[in-house]
Formats: sequence, structure tokens, C-alpha cells
Amino acid sequence: MSLAHETLASLRRRLSTKEIHSRDIVKDLLTEIGAREKTVHAFTHIDEKAAFAAAEKADPSLPLGGIPIALKDNLNALGDPCTCSSKILEGYRAPYDASAVARLRQAGALFLGRTNMDEFAMGSSTENSALGITRNPWDSTRIPGGSSGGSAAAVAGRLAIAALGSDTGGSIRQPAALCGCVGLKPTYGRISRYGLVAFASSLDQIGPLTRTVEDSAILLSALAGHDPRDNTTDLRKPETFLAKPTGSVKGLRVGLPKEYFLPGMNAETEAAIRSASQWFEKNGATLVEVSLPHTPAAIAVYYILATAEASANLARFDGVRYGRRAVDPKDLLDLYQRTRSEGFGPEVKRRIILGTFVLSQGYADAYYRKAQKVRGLLRQDFESAFTKCDLLLTPTSPEPAFPLGERTQDPLKMYLADVFTISTNLAGNGAISLPCGFTKSNLPIGLQLIGPRFGEEKMLQAAHAYEQAHDFWKRMPPL
Amino acid sequence: MSAPKLNVADVAGLARLSLTPEETSKFTAQLSQILAHMETLGQIPTGDVPEVVPPAQPVLRKDVPCPSLPLDVVLSNAPAQNNDLILVPKIVE
Repeated sequence: MSLAHETLASLRRRLSTKEIHSRDIVKDLLTEIGAREKTVHAFTHIDEKAAFAAAEKADPSLPLGGIPIALKDNLNALGDPCTCSSKILEGYRAPYDASAVARLRQAGALFLGRTNMDEFAMGSSTENSALGITRNPWDSTRIPGGSSGGSAAAVAGRLAIAALGSDTGGSIRQPAALCGCVGLKPTYGRISRYGLVAFASSLDQIGPLTRTVEDSAILLSALAGHDPRDNTTDLRKPETFLAKPTGSVKGLRVGLPKEYFLPGMNAETEAAIRSASQWFEKNGATLVEVSLPHTPAAIAVYYILATAEASANLARFDGVRYGRRAVDPKDLLDLYQRTRSEGFGPEVKRRIILGTFVLSQGYADAYYRKAQKVRGLLRQDFESAFTKCDLLLTPTSPEPAFPLGERTQDPLKMYLADVFTISTNLAGNGAISLPCGFTKSNLPIGLQLIGPRFGEEKMLQAAHAYEQAHDFWKRMPPL
Repeated sequence: MSAPKLNVADVAGLARLSLTPEETSKFTAQLSQILAHMETLGQIPTGDVPEVVPPAQPVLRKDVPCPSLPLDVVLSNAPAQNNDLILVPKIVE
């Protein structure tokens, strides 16, 4: 069997006993990429030579020694492009490593492939990439989800062993659900964002996309921890997640938020989630109905706060210090305006305008401040729910992957794709998506488990127990 | 509250974006629909609710100087440079 089909945990064991060499993994991945990347288009950049060179130097005694990992194209890795799938970062080469990248490097990992994304992580389908769309490996007429659609498609399509993504409103979990892999958004403060191109700093988190929950725990263990360069990172000591899998959910109180099970939701998604919750009950967990009453407001709160923060964060792309610059500007204002107008795509422009508006004089109270207050209520909803249960169980996405092009002209409809993932970013909690079934037309369905803040261990234990009792994660996409 | 008239061209100017007439009219229609959705927040009572505090307590580091990136590395990404400086259009007469 091609090594590209194995899990990170299995490759790690085989590398450490010297049964295989890192170069064998790189070779097998490149064979798979050669066969399917033309259709899937998961990557924006692949440097085979650098990957082979790193594989030769790999130290299998390190925790991730010789394991190739794909990086979302918004994470700086020294010397590599970092385009954010935007024309405005054409030609840019990262002058330093993001802290998350540096941690993986120190743990022995090497990097193979930078993955496609919605431009500046703004989108839910990867159709907003200026570098071309990515196709879902389960059905090439459908979207892979977004914004980390390239990372999810690469992992699901066996073009990467594991990948990093970023999640501001569901950008790791939703594509993981739609492509049938495991996506983890850690608690806000768990992983340093230094070197991640900022979208909405009060919401952004980096996290892994993997084939299994165990692989997710291995990467989280390597990535987590305080970084003086990101002062939102938490000071707690490093830990090894899922060091001793219990394989049990006995005694666990699993909350089902009633606002996440709506009349008219996709029937196959609902059936798969109901069946997953029954599995928890049959195996000794208690199901508790809970309420997160402010859920219906989450989309509005998110698109006010995220766009406000983005309008400030993206002000740095002005054509002066790096990236694209408009040709022959007549003055500085012309340089700014033409660089940004030529460099940004429509969704980024739309969000910058919306974010500038909600912060503008006369409107900031009605929009920005109001949204901050409702965000406080949303957070209280979660705190109160977690007094009644240990984990929340919900669908990750209201429906399976939708057809390419279906929503590109209707941004509001596209925004509604994030309805079940956005609240955890607003509250700061960690959450994981894992496969829990397939539709009749063979599209993956994702189950989301949400934990209390810094409750990743319990979340991973439950996710692992569920995953190992099923074989959804073993299924191969047809592409 | 009812959805305010968002003057897309004006706000784009504040954000240093210049839009084509097609973009302006398309964004006007799309953003008015999005703002109408956001109006629903007005119905949620938030009288004495404080504005949200950051989700993590910031951890401050000691204020000690550390080396920055070397000049040549920083300049390597500049679209135009000369004499260890980034070139920009003239801003004073």
C-alpha cells in the first residue's frame, strides 16, 4: 500500500523503527499528487526538491521526525511563498517561520505543499481563491468547503498525511466535514498565531486537519503552548493529548443544543447526527437537551466583528513594503487605491467595505458595539450550557458539500453555511469535526463536538472513542 | 432600526479602494441585504451587558529589546528599493 494512505501515527511508528524512510513517504505522496492534483487542485505551491532535501536530513527520533505536512497558504514558512490565495501577495516570500511552523519543524516535520484557500480565509467554499478553485475529492462537481478547502481536500484525497489550517468562523471544521476528515479548532489561546496572516484576531485559531483523531491529538500536542510573540496564548504547561485513549464515553454528559436541530434542516445530515448521539447514549453517555438561545444572532455578530477586524488587519496590504504594487502610480493615494483594487478579489473588498462601515462614525454603536455585547451573551450561553454537560454534540455543517458555483452570487447564503461553527469562535471554545456518515450519494457528513474552554482532552477522548467504533474514517474518496 | 443607506463608494474611499461602477452597484445591492440581516441584532436586549472582554487574558512579556529581521531580509520583499530604503511616490512638494 502507498504510504500516502497511512495515518500520521502509523508512519511515525514505522519511521522510528527505521522500517521506512521519510523519502519514501515524500515519493508516495508525489505519486498521488501526480495522479490527482490536476483534478482536485488542493495546492498553490509544491516544492519537491526542498521536501526531498528535508527528508534526507530527517531525524526519526523526533516526535514528528520525517513526517511531511501541508500548510495552508496563510502561514509563513521561511523562504516559501505565502499568497493567502490573493494576487496582492504575488511574489512574496516569507522572511521567517510562523511559530506554529517553527514548532513543527523543531519536532522534525517537513513541509510538502502549500494549500489553496479562500482569499485571506474569507469564504466557505474555496471558490474565492484568486489561484483557482479546489474540488471535493468525493465529487469533483462540488466544493470542498472553506476556507481551508485545500488542506481538507489534500488530506481526504491522500495528497497529504496531515495539514494545518486556520479557523476564524469554521474554516477548519466545515471543510473537514465536507471532505470527510478530522478538523480541530483549538481553544482561543491554545496555539500561537504569530506568523499566521491575520484575518480577525479575536477569532483566528490555527489547527490540524488529519485522517484520524489520534493524528489530530499528536499535532495539537506539538503545536500548543505559550509563545511570547502572541500574548493571547495561554500560560499552561505543555501536555500530550490522548496519551492514554480510554475508548469509552461512559458517564459523559453530552449536550444537544436545541437551536442546532432546526426544522427543515438537511434530512440525511440530521439522521447521521441523531444516530451518532444514540451511539453515545448506548455506550453509557447521558444525553442532555441544552439551549444556546443567542445562536440565531451568531451570523450577524460574526460578520460585523470579523469584517471590522479584517478591515483593520488588511490595511497593511498597501503596496509599500511587500507584495504587489500598482504600476506607475501618480501619487501615494493612487498607489494605495490601485494596488488594493487590483490586488484584492470581490469577497475581500466586500468585507473590507462592510467592516469599514460598521466601525465608521455614527454607525459603530449600532453595529460594532452592539455586536460585542451580543457576543458576550453568546459566551454566557456556552458557559451556562457547560454547567449541565461535558461536551456539546452538533452537526458541523447544516448540509453536505454543495455544487460548485451555487452560492458565489449570493454572499448571504454563503455566510449561512457557517451557522453551526461560528459561535464557538465567538465564545473562544475548542471544537472538533469528524466523519459520522455518508449521504446516499456518497458525500461525507461531519459531527461536531464542542468542549469547554481548554477542554480538548475530554473532547479528543470522546471523538476518538466514537471514531474507533466506526469505520467512516477508513473510507476512500473515489477520485 | 431600519437598514441605513450605505454609500459604498464613500466607504470604499475610506478603505483606500476604488471600485468600478459595476462593483459599486453590485456591492450596494449585496451589502444592503447583508445589513438588513444584521439589523436583527437590534431586537436583542443588551441594556447593561458589558462589551465583550478579550477571550484570553493577555500575557505581557518583559520589555527587553530583541533582534529584528536583518535589513536585507526585510527589503527582499519590497516592490522598489534603493540605498537600503523602500521607495514610494513623492508625498511632499
